[in-house]
Amino acid sequence: MMRALVVTVAVAPAVLLGCRRVETPPSANVVLASAAKLPSEPSDAAWNAAPEYVAKLIPQDLVDPRLMTASTAELRVRALSDGSRAAFRLEWRDETPDDMSATARFADACAVQFPAAVEPTVPSPQMGEAGRPVAITYWSASWQAFVDGRGNSLQDIYPNAAIDHYPFEAASLKSGSAEQQAMAARYAPAHALGNDLAGPRKLPVQDLIAEGPGTLSPVASTDSDGRGSRTQDGWAVVIRRQLPAGFAEQLHTQIAFAVWEGSHEEVGARKMRTAWITLTNQEKP
Amino acid sequence: MARVYNWQIRRQMSYWYPENRPQKQFAAVFDINKCIACQTCTLACKTTWTSGKGQEYMLWNNVESKPYGFYPLMWDSKLLGMLGPQAWNKETFAGRTIFEAAPAGERVLGWRPAEFDYAYPNVGEDDCAGTVEHGVSLHGPHMLWFYYLARICNHCTYPACLASCPRASIYKRPEDGIVLLDQGRCRGYRECTKACPYKKVFFNPLTGTSEKCIACYPKIEQGIQPQCFVNCIGKIRLAGWISTPEKAREDNPIDYLVHVKKVALPLFPQFGLEPNVYYIPPVHAPAKFLQQMFGPGVQAAIDAYRSAAQDEKLAGLLGLFGSTERVVPRFAQEKDWVTAREEDGKEILRVPLREPIYIREAFDKKYQVVRTNCP
Ligand code: SF4
Ligand code: SF4
Repeated sequence: MMRALVVTVAVAPAVLLGCRRVETPPSANVVLASAAKLPSEPSDAAWNAAPEYVAKLIPQDLVDPRLMTASTAELRVRALSDGSRAAFRLEWRDETPDDMSATARFADACAVQFPAAVEPTVPSPQMGEAGRPVAITYWSASWQAFVDGRGNSLQDIYPNAAIDHYPFEAASLKSGSAEQQAMAARYAPAHALGNDLAGPRKLPVQDLIAEGPGTLSPVASTDSDGRGSRTQDGWAVVIRRQLPAGFAEQLHTQIAFAVWEGSHEEVGARKMRTAWITLTNQEKP
Repeated sequence: MARVYNWQIRRQMSYWYPENRPQKQFAAVFDINKCIACQTCTLACKTTWTSGKGQEYMLWNNVESKPYGFYPLMWDSKLLGMLGPQAWNKETFAGRTIFEAAPAGERVLGWRPAEFDYAYPNVGEDDCAGTVEHGVSLHGPHMLWFYYLARICNHCTYPACLASCPRASIYKRPEDGIVLLDQGRCRGYRECTKACPYKKVFFNPLTGTSEKCIACYPKIEQGIQPQCFVNCIGKIRLAGWISTPEKAREDNPIDYLVHVKKVALPLFPQFGLEPNVYYIPPVHAPAKFLQQMFGPGVQAAIDAYRSAAQDEKLAGLLGLFGSTERVVPRFAQEKDWVTAREEDGKEILRVPLREPIYIREAFDKKYQVVRTNCP
């Protein structure tokens, strides 16, 4: 009996260590450790090879609309690279999982940002500037929920909702026919324009480009991927993407992060963010 | 913020963008006295534009009973409460608009309704102000009253929705002043649903974008009035074009009603948006309540409306409401007729000032039957 108790006590710190993985000391900047294969899961043991950087977050309070009260304090970042692509794991505390976007509900989200090209001077960390774009990959908890199987119907938001009729689902229209789909598209103009901000979604992330606040636009086709999941006290999100052009030669650039806390109605410009942080390759031993 | 001129409050005010009026401004007059709350307008809009998935709760057109009807819940009283008491100095607004009252970090003073605030579109229907006590009698204005307020997007000259969008996804068309929300550009930030004081932008949770009234612009482009106008059973609506007061034309129906006769008034002009749907206020409701909603011109508007029986031009123009599908840019009244005209003067249709009365013999000799005449 006594023995069993001792074993339990001894195991507990090991479990905690497994979560926080403090074996590498915190890093002074974001360092890309090399990896033969980039992990897709936040829980992959491969992340242990990368040093952890703790990014302090500040509210976006430079351009209106601003975030006037701070929320998420910090972000823990680990980074891996296979030479051409990089994988980032972003972890932060968030006790209120918000994975749905509805009229007055906002989803948790995060993003990584680079100067679009590695140059001697960097564009403004605040979404870049005209002629000097920044490249962004954005992950949303709501998109993750769609990827993980949540449907995109009214009942997925309001389970007891009853709907009499949608005209494009009339019995006289053959389901799936060109005529039927054209009619459905007329009542969903954002879908018709390919602006897929809700479900169904293949990816929980989107690649974007910006040249200053208010100019954010998706690139023609997202090349990044990612996956986020809940941890005990928040989110862990993997974002895998191309390193910016010129990184292979310079071996350093800048990176910035942002986190949106859905329960705090954070969306768009209302977010917690970092300034530029140096991103380097880990020295080869 | 820029300084712009808002003629409805007769002063300069702050706005996010500089003054940039369209070549023409879409506008409408709604005669509240004729609305019967049949909601045909609401359904005409719903079936045309918002029958899609994620649009279920949206009513780009709604009709609510004032004082207790709201869609969404408390849309106007909540903002009035946030602004606190505000004063007019005669016809000049001496208080703060929602742009001037914007707190730090915001472009506009606004609030975002909760989801359930949209769940009762017909709350307060036909509920009158006060309780029916012994001794209540009918006189004007009524001791107990309610009226119907039909609402669409006001296609404001200074839209709060447009000002609030950090991505500039909302734009005002230079050719007709219609305010549209770009469905390809919107990223669902919902700044606009918070900023529009009239709560006429709605979030579609199944596309992730916000949507709003488009003034049936494909119809307007063809010179035809929007769906909620041509389907209006009460014939309370007239669509057209409004000029700024110094350019007002006597032969432009909207200018005539708003600027010349001053019988139609904007909704909550003190918010500062220069909304372009104008209301002929209800004659039976107390002026104090109406002044809060339509500004200081209420009593003069009611007096002008009451005098329409002696004013052939005004009476004639009121007869053009609901008489044609076409937008009526010009009109003329000559003797017993009022004509709706195109901009170039071409006649669209003519309506008699007074409908002729036909009296039939009560007994039809030919068919040997007795007939009833209706007045
Ligand atoms: S159709 Fe006309 S009369 Fe009927 S509710 Fe609408 S505005 Fe009022
Ligand atoms: S009524 Fe609201 S949605 Fe319409 S233009 Fe004005 S601010 Fe925008």
